Amino acid sequence: MAQINITFQDVNEAGKNLKLVTFNGQLDETNVDNEAQQIYRVIEEMTEPNLLFDFAGLEYMNSKSIGYVTDWYTKVMTKNGKIVIARPRANILDILKVVGITQIVNIYDNLDTAKAAFTAQATAAKK
Amino acid sequence: MEGLNTTIANPATTVKNPEDYSVLNKTTAVVNDTENPVKITIILPTNAYFMAGIRDFTMTIVQNMTEFSEQWAYRFQSVVDELTNNAIEFGSASGKDIKISFVSKKGKYIEVYVEDSGTGSVKKTAAEMQAFVEKQRHIDPTKITSIRGRGLSQIVSNWTDSLEFRDNEQGGLTVHVVKYLERGEQF
Repeated sequence: MAQINITFQDVNEAGKNLKLVTFNGQLDETNVDNEAQQIYRVIEEMTEPNLLFDFAGLEYMNSKSIGYVTDWYTKVMTKNGKIVIARPRANILDILKVVGITQIVNIYDNLDTAKAAFTAQATAAKK
Repeated sequence: MEGLNTTIANPATTVKNPEDYSVLNKTTAVVNDTENPVKITIILPTNAYFMAGIRDFTMTIVQNMTEFSEQWAYRFQSVVDELTNNAIEFGSASGKDIKISFVSKKGKYIEVYVEDSGTGSVKKTAAEMQAFVEKQRHIDPTKITSIRGRGLSQIVSNWTDSLEFRDNEQGGLTVHVVKYLERGEQF
């Protein structure tokens, strides 16, 4: 069974409250349905959900995991929030590209740049 | 010389811990055949518990038995994962089996067959699946809003050269994918 550890940290970036969500391990059919609920709860709790997903430790994600990312994105947008992805490994970036996620979510290879994207006008170049 | 043909049967159901009968660390075959395709078949219970091991196994096979790049090893890992997940979730009922066969000719191609028993929650014919994928694969992926629906139509379709469905003798589906190693495909 795949193992995944998701942790949450409050971050203030230039006066803006973000939630840094760090993924370590693998997201697959055996765990994603349960783990996804943590993200839904955070989105519900935050008035303006700004989520920074740090994927540096994410080793694998399947198509359903990507489906959840798009669903979180939709929910976050309806609350005027934002999702940004930082530091995906090459295989993760590859699969995000093939399903078109890179066209709707900004992805950065640097955590500081990703944080800054929440305060900038979201024009930073994608990875 | 004949190609390797390792078939690992479903273990006895009295084993309590699924890891006790995981096939993934029990293959001791030596692959030294460069002329004929190498075939390895794994039969596993309909249980997603085994998927992480199947992914590791796929990575090992692609990296050691083909000349595909690491990027393609990761891609094929996803392809096999998606196909097997579909078989587990829809094609075979709990207590039944899924059969995964890898066929590879080093430097030429890798192909994978995933067979379910047709006892699962969704009964579809090969023709229905082929039509479904043909329809879905032309949809702009950014327009897909559901959580499901990206595995076959986006990941498997884009990362294989051939994707076909067959109705098998058990009454289920056999999905067959092929990826050819082409010049210039190394990343």
